[in-house]
Amino acid sequence: MATTTSTSSSHAHADHGHADHGPELQHHFSTAAQQKEAATLGMWVFLVTEVMLFGGIFMAYAVYRWAFPDIWAEAAYHLNTPLGTINTVVLLVSSLTVALAVSAAEAGKRTRIIQLIVVTMLLGLAFLGLKAYEYSEKFAHCAGYSTPIEWVTNTNQHAVYECLVPGQAFLFPADKTTGASNAPTVAGQPTPYQLFFLLYFIATGLHAVHMLIGLAIMSYLVFITWRGTISSTYFTPVEIGGLYWHLIDIVWVFLFPLFYLVH
Amino acid sequence: MAHHEHEHERGHIGPATYYKVFAALMVLMFLTVGAWWVEGMLNIPRALGVFIAVAIASTKTVLIVLFFMHIKVSSRVTQLYAVAALVALLFMFVITMGDYFARGWPPELGPLP
Amino acid sequence: MATTALPGRNYLEEDATTIGAWLKAWFLTVDHKRIAILYLLSINFFFLLGGLAASVIRVELITPQGDLLSADLYNRAFTLHGIIMVFFFLIPGIPAVLGNFLVPLMIGARDMAFPRLNLFSWYLYMAGGIFALTAAIFGGVDTGWTFYTPFSSTYANSNVILTITGAFIMGFSSITTGVNFIVTIHTMRAPGMTWFRLPLFIWASYATSLIIVLATPVIGITLLLVAIERLWGVGIFDPALGGDPLLFQHLFWFYSHPAVYIMILPGFGVISELIAAFSRKRIFGYEFIAFSSMAIALLGFLVWGHHMFVSGQSVYAGLVFSFLTMLVAIPSAIKVFNWTATLYKGSISYRTPMLYALGFIGLFVIGGLTGIFLGIVAINIHVTDTYFVVAHFHYVMVGGAIMAYLGGIHYWWPKMTGRMYNEVWGGISALIIFVGFNMTFFPQFIVGYLGMPRRYHVYPQEFQVLHVLSSAGATILAIGFIIPIIYLTISLWKGAIAGDNPWDATGLEWEVSSPPPTHNFTTTPVVTREAYDYPPDAAEVDAANWRPGSPL
Repeated sequence: MATTTSTSSSHAHADHGHADHGPELQHHFSTAAQQKEAATLGMWVFLVTEVMLFGGIFMAYAVYRWAFPDIWAEAAYHLNTPLGTINTVVLLVSSLTVALAVSAAEAGKRTRIIQLIVVTMLLGLAFLGLKAYEYSEKFAHCAGYSTPIEWVTNTNQHAVYECLVPGQAFLFPADKTTGASNAPTVAGQPTPYQLFFLLYFIATGLHAVHMLIGLAIMSYLVFITWRGTISSTYFTPVEIGGLYWHLIDIVWVFLFPLFYLVH
Repeated sequence: MAHHEHEHERGHIGPATYYKVFAALMVLMFLTVGAWWVEGMLNIPRALGVFIAVAIASTKTVLIVLFFMHIKVSSRVTQLYAVAALVALLFMFVITMGDYFARGWPPELGPLP
Repeated sequence: MATTALPGRNYLEEDATTIGAWLKAWFLTVDHKRIAILYLLSINFFFLLGGLAASVIRVELITPQGDLLSADLYNRAFTLHGIIMVFFFLIPGIPAVLGNFLVPLMIGARDMAFPRLNLFSWYLYMAGGIFALTAAIFGGVDTGWTFYTPFSSTYANSNVILTITGAFIMGFSSITTGVNFIVTIHTMRAPGMTWFRLPLFIWASYATSLIIVLATPVIGITLLLVAIERLWGVGIFDPALGGDPLLFQHLFWFYSHPAVYIMILPGFGVISELIAAFSRKRIFGYEFIAFSSMAIALLGFLVWGHHMFVSGQSVYAGLVFSFLTMLVAIPSAIKVFNWTATLYKGSISYRTPMLYALGFIGLFVIGGLTGIFLGIVAINIHVTDTYFVVAHFHYVMVGGAIMAYLGGIHYWWPKMTGRMYNEVWGGISALIIFVGFNMTFFPQFIVGYLGMPRRYHVYPQEFQVLHVLSSAGATILAIGFIIPIIYLTISLWKGAIAGDNPWDATGLEWEVSSPPPTHNFTTTPVVTREAYDYPPDAAEVDAANWRPGSPL
């Protein structure tokens, strides 16, 4: 397409000077609005890839849940649903605090942004702590302890009656209501029960990795807010960091009923 | 969510909306746990239970995406990309599950010998 | 406007006086044009490496006995060839080199939307490449580039995890490129550059990016699951646990079929540019070509099961996939018809890029039509895993994607370097590649239809003639690939100064100097006309101006 080139005076977009915008506008953008739109769209496109990444796991989940409905119901009984519920609440609250942080950013209240993001990070850490406890419970059972605390303090070791960590030691208790009183079957049974727990560990593990990345992003946001980069005219980082955090929340919104609430 | 007309006009979502959405999310969360608890006592078809759980999760997602993630007031392109992932996931799920449904479990090859 | 020396202050020029500053200026650059050059060098390196593996395969196949390689080594050779060519050449090839260079220039932007992400994608590419090379050095992989389970997850006794890590990281490199393209095309267009004024290369790049963004994460997670299965000893796809190895194939081809369009769609974009420029006509059916790219991107997600006709997939699914595969032929054919219609009554000049473009059309038609054969379940069952399939996808990938890549490199070479390549050698090597390519791969259709299975290093005596023919063709093809490297390199010093627009082509990239200045445009261009806005009488004027001795 043959074109005409404009002079700087004839067209607002052609303004190449740095007079009427802040230092945060990168040289290759014409306006702050363009930069913000690019950043937001970029984050959303990236979130699409994240959804597809988890989509592969959900696909495997769908196939196997359809294939082994009874096994799924039995296996899910062995996950810690109360902890899962608490974790859901924790994440939903953290989503609220992030949303409020974005509001505070729009208003340019730096102290409030930092407070809200720190609360978000604490909630995120609480989530990871509870998740770690759930994992260690499973590993403690494999080592022959009832709780992770007993495992750490090395008290009350007993025979292994269940091991829900997939692998050579995998042992699914024969009776789903009690567990403890049942004579163990052979360890490492190659059963579809392993598929459930494998999917559980991979899905929640990948989610936890994203949580760690989210925490790193949040710390960065605290840093740049504290340094004074964020203002009521430039708060895009808070906004798109918040988008990432909400995505982590959404993934958990699906993981929770699909793993913990199965009949 | 019928009370956001004024925010929509301004292209902006404020804390008041966030609190309302959060309340709705909490209600939905207790609804999904409650449904699970009730289903444990009733003998309803499994598929219905899965449907309820996924429907509630999807509703929560829609709320988060629309309000917390500002899709309601975002540009059309951003809204399109928010939907794009859904479409691609739908392709993957419908086609793959179609193959599995047709084969059955344990898989059968079909009418050919 | 012919100039006698390269214009001052272009992106290749250097302020750096020390080696350290020079390294920093190149390896920490955020200029999309420099990143494109980094990609050009590294991708061509991987192409030569993949070509080396191909030569080993072809040498082995000269005789029916396995006298050069053992069966195991042969497996590793074709796997190396496949992985390097697919993941490290074809998928990033045109988008990362030509796309990175041209997308901002063509839409009138000063850079990509995310320049640092752009640089990061090159580092991811190199990191992935290093993993794959390390795997190759420590013995290679024997799974084929498809990593089918349960062989890859349980039985394969080779560096599967290293290679998978390489492919995984490289996947993120293409994701970052895809995100960058999408955002750049949406938000960075110059004033007046509406969607229907965009060059078709931009449409093709956009469609490609869409596929990259939607499909690549799925291969990422799938390969991760295979790696976990190998590391942990228990896996999602393990039939011993009740898992289904076919699920791997579904997830794998959910990416890898659309990936075929990641490889060829940018090629379509390049060809649209070349055909219009060297016919001196507005492209015929602009909207149809633009939308057919989007249609291919969409339909590409619905047909992956045609790779699984004999895998044990449901026959009903097979029928549906077969039907949907036919549909892909429609947008592909629309493109070919529009290109040929553009040629009609055009002022065609047979310059090197045009030779590649014409070669592309012929070879892609053969590759595409044999694809329709293969999309029919009955024929597919007959020729599954034979050289017929090998020949088919090489007609699309080499005859299509590589011809477009080379055509594009030649076409934009004066823009990238400011200098012309040697036109005589260009034409000669384009012809050598065309002849060598057909000699290599046409016999493979025949030998495959006769029953020669792929991935075997020994074969019955009666196939030897065709295999020798193919290997001889591969030698010619290799020479054809080496010649351009030589004359293009020489042109960097000896080439004639190209001037801003040596092809007299339309497009914003031809309005900046060659090589372009660092920030592309000193003033933001305002676009007022359609793409490929050649004057209606361009053909007549060209014909009137032609004299014996002027370029064809």
